[in-house]
This record gives sequence, C-alpha cells and structure tokens, in this order.
Amino acid sequence: MRRGGFPLLWVWLVYGFMYLPIAVIALFSFNASEIIAFPLQGFTLHWFGQVLADARLGKGLGLSFLVSVPVAALATLFGAMAALALTRYPLRGRGVLFAVILLPFLIPKVILAVAQLILLSELKIERSLATIIAGQAIIILPFTTLIIASVLVRIDRRLEEAAADLGASGWSTFRRVTLPLMKNGLTAAWFIAFVLSSSEYVLTSFLSGRYQPLSILVASDFRFNISPALNALALMIVAVNLAFIAIGEFIRLRSKQA
Amino acid sequence: MARSRTGFWLSVPVYAAVVALCVAPLLILLAYSFFQVSFVAVLKEPTLKNYVRIVGSDTYRWLILKAFGSGLMVAAITAVIGYPVAWFIAKRVVAAKSAFLTLLLVPLYTGDLVRIFAWRMLLGAEGVLNTFLMAFGAIREPIGALLFSSLATHIVLTYNYLPFMVLGLWLAFEALDDRLVEAAADLGAGAVSTFRRVTLPLTVPGLVAGSMMVFVMVVGDYLTPQLVGGASGITIISAINDLFGTAFDWPLGSAIAWTMLAILALAFAGAAIVINRSSLGKALAAGEA
Repeated sequence: MRRGGFPLLWVWLVYGFMYLPIAVIALFSFNASEIIAFPLQGFTLHWFGQVLADARLGKGLGLSFLVSVPVAALATLFGAMAALALTRYPLRGRGVLFAVILLPFLIPKVILAVAQLILLSELKIERSLATIIAGQAIIILPFTTLIIASVLVRIDRRLEEAAADLGASGWSTFRRVTLPLMKNGLTAAWFIAFVLSSSEYVLTSFLSGRYQPLSILVASDFRFNISPALNALALMIVAVNLAFIAIGEFIRLRSKQA
Repeated sequence: MARSRTGFWLSVPVYAAVVALCVAPLLILLAYSFFQVSFVAVLKEPTLKNYVRIVGSDTYRWLILKAFGSGLMVAAITAVIGYPVAWFIAKRVVAAKSAFLTLLLVPLYTGDLVRIFAWRMLLGAEGVLNTFLMAFGAIREPIGALLFSSLATHIVLTYNYLPFMVLGLWLAFEALDDRLVEAAADLGAGAVSTFRRVTLPLTVPGLVAGSMMVFVMVVGDYLTPQLVGGASGITIISAINDLFGTAFDWPLGSAIAWTMLAILALAFAGAAIVINRSSLGKALAAGEA
C-alpha cells in the first residue's frame, strides 16, 4: 500500500481544523485593536493586563478552585474504587457496574441538571457550593474511572499474586504493591477531573444558586460583552488547562513504561 | 474468599453515589412528568396530560425530530471525516500513536465556552473567515449567514464531537487483523471490494459506538445551538431549560425530558445489540480490550 498521499493530507487537515479555534484565540489576544478582525493591528499585552486587574474574575477564579479541587478529589476517589472493582477483584455484575458508571455520561446534561434541581427542591436543600460539587463529581466519575482503569489493566497481576504468596494480606498487598503502581493513574485522573470541573458550565449554572464560579462569569461575558479581553482570558484558561492535561498525560504515560 | 468481598465493598459506595446523584433525580423527574402545574404550584395528582400535550404539539414533535436529525447528521459527518483519521492512527502511525491520540483530545479540554467563543470569532460577519476571504478577494461582501445559523451549529457540533468518533473507530481498527485484509487481496478482491466486504463490516462496532457517543452528545448539547445557532438555536433541550426557568412548567419539562430519555434508551438498546453480536463486543465482554 502506498504511504502518505491522500490519507496523510486528510489527517493534517483534520488536525488543522481541531487547532484552528485555539490559534485564532491566541492570535487575537495579542492584537492591539478593539475589533476582532483582520488585518492585525500590532502586538499588545493590554488585554492580559485588563483580565488580571479584574477583581470580579479573580473572585470567580477563587470560587472555581473551591469547587474544582474537591470535585477532582471526590471523582478520583470514587473512580479509583470503581476501577479497582472493575479490573482487580472478582465481582458479580461487572457489566452492571460498568453501565451504572457510564450512565451520568450518557444522560444529557440539561436533563440531569433539572432532575437534580427537582430532587434538591423536594428535599428542601438550598443550592450551594456543596450541590455544585456533588453534581459535577458524578458527571466526571466516568472519565476518572476509565483513566484509572486504563492504568490498572497494565499492571502485572503476578506482582500482586507474588505479594499474596509471600504472605501479604489483601490490604498490605494493595498498599505496598497496587497503590504505588496505580499512583500515576490517580494523579492523571485528578488533573483531568480538575480541568473538566473548572470548565463545566451547564450543570454549574443550574446548581450554583447565587454563587458565580469563573465558568458562569465567562459565559455571561461571552453573551453580553464580547471584547478582545475575552480572548486573553480564554487563552489563559486554555493555557492552564493544557498545562494541567500535559502534566496528567505525562504522568499517566510514564506509568506505561514502568 | 476475601477478594470477592473486597470487590463488592468497593462497588457499594460507587453504586450509592450514582443512585443518589443520578438515578434518584431521574426517578423524581419521572414522577414529576405525571404532575401538573396550577398557577405557581405543582399539583401532585397523576395524569398523562403532559405526554398527551407533547404528542399533540407540532412544535415539540418538530423539535424532538430536529434533535434526533441533528444527532444522526453529525454522527454521519464525523464518521466520514474520522474514518480515514482513525485508520491512519491505528495502521500507519507506529511510534507516536499515543501522541496522535492525545493531540486529538487536547482541544476538548479547552472547555465548551472557550471553543464556542472561538468559533463565533471565526464565523462572524466581521469575523476571521469573512475578513480573510475578503482580503484574498474570494468574496466581495461578508457572508452574513455564516454565524447564527443551523450551518454554524452543525460546524461547531462536528468540531466538538469528532474526537469521540475517532476514538471509537480507532478501537475498531486496532482490533482489525491486517491478515484478513491481505487475504482478501490475495484472493483477488480489489481495493473497493476489500473495503466493502472486509474492512467496513469489521469496523462496524467502532462506527456504532462512535456514532452513539456523538449522537447522545449532539442531542443533549445546550450551549452550541444557543450561542451560535441564532434563530435556529431553539432546541428541545433549550425548551426543557425554558420550562424549568422562565416558563415554570416543571411537569411538562419533565415529560419532555423523559420522552427524550426513552428514545435515547431505545437507540442504545439497538446499538448494544449490534455491538454485542460483533467480535469486538465479544472481546470487550471477555475483558481483553
């Protein structure tokens, strides 16, 4: 079969398509003009300064951290339990567990959000940061479970069997063999969960009540006052997200070689 | 044995979390779909009126059809675009396979809002694409219809969900034994007939899995039609959103939501049957993939 040719060109085009929006954001966040259009007017860091000086956004960012750090921790903890149950231990109804974990991913977010809203109102629970955290954690659980499971399936079962043969109890086998080997998967899952949580808008907007994390503020800016400063903000969000993903993926893929 | 109990106890909190935060809310939603609204209160007497209203309403029937039509269309478009990419990553990339996959997924992590914002800049009347085309003399007047149209919605939806399709197809191509393709060629099959009779049937499970993921996400997408669709941005999902917000008719909103869930469940059942019958499904069930 011939190499390269049309398929290679196609792959380049598709990857170009995937990165086009990010390139545009980057370009205009440095453009010295109020108007987001060609031709470019010169280089400026003004928009970044404007975003960093915005106290409202700073407060939103703080709230986002208050939400996303516990969400990532919870999603990782439950994802780890699910992944261990799915891959390491004999379990009746493994298929059922897998389907149940995928469920939050398969339900349209608006539908899940209104359903949670009804439950909250029936139980007379006030919307708060805690409700955002619970709601987000459950939709991120499928992602953390798959990430951790992808690391667990690569761990050689014989290492655990050897530990058991040498007299280690179940708990000490887990703590001294399995856990160290899956640590990279846990870290990767935490980082990716953090990113998914901080950029989640739909569920957050339903469950947040009077709290306004960064994603809510960004959404209202997108609707009502489009400005190049938003490019700068978007680029900073992209940069931070990508840095987090890069760290997570680096750690996860390193565990492949181990 | 102790290990089987461990698996059980590990799964209990996970089941509890999903039941409390996903299954229970959906069941209450189902209960609400049989209630009614009178003024500002919810009347908790079971009735089928909401469902009768949906079936009898041209608007809701049309919006539901439109949602599933969009889902099918974007699934088809992403399948055509993604098929060669998945093949390339699975069969032509040797060393940098995970890099290719990661690079494909990276744009997903920029967040829905950022991506939509970027596409608004790209497609707007004063936007990047228009000014670019005008600067090169390809068009004289900006194409106003690019943004805030059904076309824009479908471009952005395709962009959003293409990576999921590629992932599904990639798995199928990884499981495809090259020797089968070679055997077909040795037996005198041409490129087209090898593709049609060997490659395509063997990658159907990936196609179905990818399509289901894309389909469900397109049907459930709220932000994209809202923010780039303009007048065409009214969807069944935005209707549910409105009924829970300004229109305050939770029971009707619940009934629409459950109608959607029921149709989605049927689609999933169909997809599951197709995948289970295939060899990839058997491999997955055996825990090999």
